[in-house]
Amino acid sequence: MYKSGINNGNYKCSGKKTGFLEDVTVSENKYLGADNYLMKVFSENVKKQVTNPKAGQFYMLKLRNHIRILRRPISLHSVNFKTGELEFLYKVIGKGTEELSILQKGSILNIQGPLGKGFDIYKKSENIIVIGGGIGLAPLKQLIKELLKYKENKNIIFIAGGRNKEAMNILENFLLDSKRVSTFICTDDGSLGEKLNIAEMLEKILKNNKNPDIIYSCGPDKALKAVNDIVNRKNILSQISMEERMACGVGACVGCSVETVSGMRKVCHDGPVFYSSIFYENRGEINGN
Amino acid sequence: MEIDIEKKCKSRLETTFMGVKLQNPVMTGSGCFAFGLEYMDYFNPNKLGAIITKGLTLEMRKGNNGIRIAETPAGILNSVGLENPGIDYFEKHILPEMNKYLNIPIVGNINGKFIEEYVELTKRLDKIEKIKILELNISCPNVKDGGMAFGANPEIARKVTGEVRKVTKKPLMVKLSPNVTNIVEIAKIAESEGADGISMINTLLGMSIDVKTRKAVLGNIYGGLSGPAVKPIALRMIHQVSQTVSIPILGMGGISNTEDAIEFFLAGASAISLGTAFFPNPMVALEVIEGLEEYCKNEKLNNISEIIGYAHSDNGIDYRKKLKLRK
Repeated sequence: MYKSGINNGNYKCSGKKTGFLEDVTVSENKYLGADNYLMKVFSENVKKQVTNPKAGQFYMLKLRNHIRILRRPISLHSVNFKTGELEFLYKVIGKGTEELSILQKGSILNIQGPLGKGFDIYKKSENIIVIGGGIGLAPLKQLIKELLKYKENKNIIFIAGGRNKEAMNILENFLLDSKRVSTFICTDDGSLGEKLNIAEMLEKILKNNKNPDIIYSCGPDKALKAVNDIVNRKNILSQISMEERMACGVGACVGCSVETVSGMRKVCHDGPVFYSSIFYENRGEINGN
Repeated sequence: MEIDIEKKCKSRLETTFMGVKLQNPVMTGSGCFAFGLEYMDYFNPNKLGAIITKGLTLEMRKGNNGIRIAETPAGILNSVGLENPGIDYFEKHILPEMNKYLNIPIVGNINGKFIEEYVELTKRLDKIEKIKILELNISCPNVKDGGMAFGANPEIARKVTGEVRKVTKKPLMVKLSPNVTNIVEIAKIAESEGADGISMINTLLGMSIDVKTRKAVLGNIYGGLSGPAVKPIALRMIHQVSQTVSIPILGMGGISNTEDAIEFFLAGASAISLGTAFFPNPMVALEVIEGLEEYCKNEKLNNISEIIGYAHSDNGIDYRKKLKLRK
């Protein structure tokens, strides 16, 4: 399904400042189980509305241990423009994220961002499906918040999947009390919700419902591939948020490039959110990203 | 925060490198700064001495598959494999953007799989006014053909440098690989074939293994090591090479702050380049430029060039004399 193509990544420079370096203060760094943590930080730039981070964008968090020289890319979980608070939901997977996990209230952390392109919000999409698997749920809190801003976005189906019940503790921090959001939970071991993976859950939901206007998803590679295959087969407009190892975060080092039908694209700069169509030759470009 | 260094730099950091006048001797390493516009959110790239472009090839290259970045102690491994859009796309889409935003000298980094490709690309870059210096990359460890294979073989290094030299009058700098037994030999060859300068070092071939999967982390298995971990090796090699050639050296390899940069001048570099250091600290170039100015002031130097090669046994006097002879 993948085809080589010419590189037409975006090299254009707008000249407008979008990313910032900032020292922020940690106000909370809570363990949620299954190696997942929720960190809240206070940002002057957000409070003063100098930056306007959006769902799907990410920040590069600087570590203090100089043996580990790279910043860690962490998605924006949620932003509160009134209080200046940014939330990051992350999983400890290595020494870098382990270092982040021991930061305490009052610690100063240098962050770089917001970076990358986030989700496109369509103001009049009646039926929307939002899918997250594991730590891929992280960017979806802000996404659902942004979708709910528009009254026309009437029915949002939220599929949340994870390994087990403990891994789903991260949902505690989602604001799901809206009547417009129907949540479907699935786990690999069936300890919470249905014993399905997110792609199987999507298949099941699509059987009983008409195709949505758009599907947004974020999760492990394998799950995203399965979701992509479904949306491709059913020709549904879809955006996915991808994860890749990064060094610079700004599109300079080309360490995170992925091959698409229209050439190589940098996950940090051209993504991390892409239209799924970009990976499928036969679909053409639907609102090509 | 941007530091206004323009006024201050003119006296103490202004330099001429390979015949090209620079406001300061601080450049960006190829492949770490793309085409000069990506870090504009953090500082004005026009404050730099020069920008070295990402490695260019005649045709578009997709680079290597799989994971391309792995962090190692005080360093990173990369196996990008020269992904770039090719010279046509560069000229059509990137160069106009560079022309619009950048008013400092640009160094074009040249790559090829065959000598003919190096020559062809050189001819194309030779015609671009914006590009003031050419950097011949015969040392990329991440491409199977050309790249390091050229830089590690003295006879091929001789041939490619000589052939490229014939087709351009622009100052030509050859980027050396540290993945050789005798780097001095290759440096001398570059000089004898008409190179106007040397840039060193490129990354060191390395590897990282995931103990869980029991496999190499990088898709390409081996990758190029950069960052603070390689600094002592870069310094040693520059110290060796600068005592045997009389063309200027652009020093790079793990420079993360002003003190590191000063060490490179002392070892024999006439200018320095920052690469991996941009990743943790996008402001690093401005900090180094300001730090060098401060150092000159504190050490009562009229110009940073006064310390070039000072760590040599003759306090660099011979080397500086040689460099002047070449001008």
